[in-house]
Amino acid sequence: MTSAATRSFRPRSFRLGRYRGLIIALIVFALLLLLNNMMSPGPMSYFEFSFMSTGGATLAIAAAGQTLVILTGGFDLSAGAVISLVNVLLATNMPDTPMGIFLWSLAGIGVGMVIGAFNGLFIAFFRLQPIVVTLSTMFITQGLTLLVLDKPGGMVPAGLSEALVYDAIPNVLPMPVVVLGILILLWLWLKNTRFGTSVYAIGSDMDAARAQGIRVRWVQFMVYVLAGGCYGFAGVFVSAQTGAGDPLVGNSMLLQVFGAVVVGGTVLGGGRGGAVGSIVGAYILMIVVNILLVLNVSAYYSTITEGCILILAVMAGALGRNAPAARGLRRFFSRLKARNAGMLPGQGSRPAQRLVLPGIGGGRVAGALPPFTVRHAETIRYALPAYVCFVLVVLMTQFVTGNALFHGGYYNSLLVLSSFLLVLALGQGTVILTGGLDLSVPWTIALCGILLAGIVNGQNGPLIYTLPLVLAIGCVIGLVNGFGITMLGISPIVMTLAMNGILQGVALLYSQGTPAGFSSPLMRWFMTSKAEFVTPVVIFILLFVVAAVVLHKRTAFGRRIYALGNGERVSALSGINVNRTTMLVYTLSGFCSALVGCMLTGFSGQASLGMGDEYLLPSIAVVVVGGTLITGGRGSYVGMVGGVLLLTALQTLLAGTMLPYATRIIIFGLVVLAAVVALRERDS
Amino acid sequence: MTPLKGALRLGLAFALGATIMLQGATAQAADKFKIFLSMSFIGNDWQAEAANMVKAMAAHPSMAEKVDLQVQVAGPNAQRQIQQINAMVQAGAQAIVIFPISPTALNAAVKNACDKGVLVFAYDAEITEPCAYNISIDQEEAGRVTAEWLVKKLDGKGNIVAITGVPGTSVDTLRTKAAKEVFAKHPDIKIVAEAVGMWSQATARTELSKILATRSWDDIDGLWMQVGCFTANAMQLEAGKKPEELLACAGEGSNGGRIQMLPIGTAVEGGEMPYAPLGAPRISYASPPYSGGYALKLAVQKLEGKDVPHRITLPLPIVTNETIKYCETGSWEEMKAGCNAFPPALVPNPGWFASIFSPETPEIGFQGALVGQPEL
Repeated sequence: MTSAATRSFRPRSFRLGRYRGLIIALIVFALLLLLNNMMSPGPMSYFEFSFMSTGGATLAIAAAGQTLVILTGGFDLSAGAVISLVNVLLATNMPDTPMGIFLWSLAGIGVGMVIGAFNGLFIAFFRLQPIVVTLSTMFITQGLTLLVLDKPGGMVPAGLSEALVYDAIPNVLPMPVVVLGILILLWLWLKNTRFGTSVYAIGSDMDAARAQGIRVRWVQFMVYVLAGGCYGFAGVFVSAQTGAGDPLVGNSMLLQVFGAVVVGGTVLGGGRGGAVGSIVGAYILMIVVNILLVLNVSAYYSTITEGCILILAVMAGALGRNAPAARGLRRFFSRLKARNAGMLPGQGSRPAQRLVLPGIGGGRVAGALPPFTVRHAETIRYALPAYVCFVLVVLMTQFVTGNALFHGGYYNSLLVLSSFLLVLALGQGTVILTGGLDLSVPWTIALCGILLAGIVNGQNGPLIYTLPLVLAIGCVIGLVNGFGITMLGISPIVMTLAMNGILQGVALLYSQGTPAGFSSPLMRWFMTSKAEFVTPVVIFILLFVVAAVVLHKRTAFGRRIYALGNGERVSALSGINVNRTTMLVYTLSGFCSALVGCMLTGFSGQASLGMGDEYLLPSIAVVVVGGTLITGGRGSYVGMVGGVLLLTALQTLLAGTMLPYATRIIIFGLVVLAAVVALRERDS
Repeated sequence: MTPLKGALRLGLAFALGATIMLQGATAQAADKFKIFLSMSFIGNDWQAEAANMVKAMAAHPSMAEKVDLQVQVAGPNAQRQIQQINAMVQAGAQAIVIFPISPTALNAAVKNACDKGVLVFAYDAEITEPCAYNISIDQEEAGRVTAEWLVKKLDGKGNIVAITGVPGTSVDTLRTKAAKEVFAKHPDIKIVAEAVGMWSQATARTELSKILATRSWDDIDGLWMQVGCFTANAMQLEAGKKPEELLACAGEGSNGGRIQMLPIGTAVEGGEMPYAPLGAPRISYASPPYSGGYALKLAVQKLEGKDVPHRITLPLPIVTNETIKYCETGSWEEMKAGCNAFPPALVPNPGWFASIFSPETPEIGFQGALVGQPEL
């Protein structure tokens, strides 16, 4: 009592624990730097220092912006696309006069802020889910970028590089360090303003923040605007660094931005962390490139090494007595002790005492149930928009191509093409319902496909043992993900991202860079034959959908998933084994990815590296477009099916037109956005 | 301060590991040229094959004593490749052989490397910085020649489907633009559908399936693809077409496609439908994967003091049904005599690129592209 009271009297006291994420990131960075220096031929020169500071700056600036969004519990996928757009705008427009350079740099930041405002508008005021809004923005921005510049080119005046990249004080201080220094000062100032406090408050507990009188929506809006400004500035910086335009320059940075934020100690979900950590995180990710070089890590091992470094860096941030890993271990031992002593609840001989609730369990009166539409009002409410949009797209396809609505082949093709995402949606969707995310989908698909094709090698016979083997491998991958997330306490994004890198390395090592083998005739028949009335996979996928709905709605496992997504602690206190359920959920996702790997191999006739890459973002998009909440707890597989049908039909429609690619992805983004606008919560 | 202690332990482990590896690294020979290979993404057939050929070149007896080659992967991210180039310069590189992720974004880093006396040789794709050496084919020519072939094959009349590469890259834009210019000259040639194929057989299949959801093969007279003819032929067979009815297809130089070009009945070792001789009407072109190995050879020549031009345009490897020829063993002499399709038994992956022959590189051949072993 007294100690609590004294502590509350000095709230400003400097507690190191609060900065643990940042401190660990700094230590890891220092160690990597030391390692790099030990291994390099000479001591670090000013030039090396200068290059290193330039190399990581773009990522650091973008990561600082992303940090703000993540601190409020949001998510911004548009970061990379904005960087590309600003880069091509500057490369095509910036005049070579000091005033022109200055104004266009501001314009670049402004463009980022406008896109951020677009995001913020839909997220804060329309209350849409950040992940879909920013995904749509990402597509639209990528389309705009290609309209500005369809291939690398253009010129950025040297004056910009002189201002941002060269030396501030020759041979002492490179300019990027100054830029980042200013950014850090701005952040430290911002953090201690009312606005900064609000950001943390919203991320910790939005309802409590609102109750405290914080204007939650306004703060959320501003956060996206500021983040957009950071991406815009990152775009300006990358232009200064490269001196030219490339419409793809930022797109591949997206995952690294998240990596930098998480390595820097910011917690996904909001409330804890800070931009300084993310800046350090960015440099950790960049120096890994140097480390791989000085250690001469073979090309095939580099993604494995990176994945391990990512996991180690994050785990280092969670060392100590209260780390999830330590807690898990303690719990395990105490359970073991209890088991030996025969004190586990399951070991008792007492008969289970079940609560008897009136009206349930006994004979149900048919008339007492409300009608179907009322019982499933929520499911219908959130699933309907996707289906309505789907019907519109089919009608549109009929209008454009004149060969869809009454053409059996159209629906057959649509279902075959949808089958991959329908399976993935079950895995990814279940993970998302529990509040997680599975980024290991792409290389689980590829590795399983490659293994299958390699072992089967065109024969039907080996399928009997290969198919179960490959699916089991998928399950094991998912189980390892689940183990890392529950027992080691690694955040789902980091764990599955690292797993994805590790699997990529394994796939490369196994195939030695060129996957061999074919799918068997049976698999090809299953996925592509048109001899029968429908392609066999269509029948399979219909059964799969029914089974998935039953799994979600009619099994104890299904109910646990929803419980977990609504509140982990509440679920645990209700007697749900949270860890086991989480592991099962990721195992299911691994299984689904493996199944898709097998299906894709049958469909294409062979497996290829990177065959799963194009399924990651769609697998998330269909889940959310289908009405599922990205933070978990709400949504239904029925809705996800609608999401899959909508997106596949839309892509089919666009493939039937002669619109340029840039226009297609803009339309794609707009339709996804329109679908979720219809999902908007209407209350309050 | 438990977390700090934990981190310290972690650091100790790191340092220990480093010292062990350090002892291994210092034993390098000092009299060899130190050359680095910076690859982009290794997750596709072409990249892996090109890397094999660079490794084979470095392992050839004429090179092995001169060259100390280290291979690094940058992934799809230009930022990382910039960092990698800088790190290679710091590590004392004398030459950097590179598959550039972007023709423009690397310029500043490449310029700096040149200023430090490091040679930069780019293969396949291009670096616009003038101090770099570029070894590649003429992409516009590739687009033009293949489009002209298709127009001629269709007698200047018909509906075609175009499957392009990765949008936003120079290679894709140049090829597609050149091809469309040719098609525009023939008003009776109509592009009825166009899709992005990402230079992947798997994507080509998904995109073609989408197009065919609302269209039938009978509405299409010809195909212009950057990658995907092999898949398109397979799909036509699945749809019930006979091999004689396959559509004319201008596309990639994969071995699967080359084998399909052989007349029906040609005896080939291994392979089964659709990786089999079909007499498919084709023109097959590709960026040749030997360009990386050739770049390494030129880099060594330049380091030895020879003159090397800054731009080397490789001859466009074109194979049509008239010039297709089966290789029995794939020996260098056989390739020199003009064979250009390899036995499926030896090349189990139909996506493997078959344009591996150059008279300039007798050091590397079939084994080089397959497993990274030089010719002896």
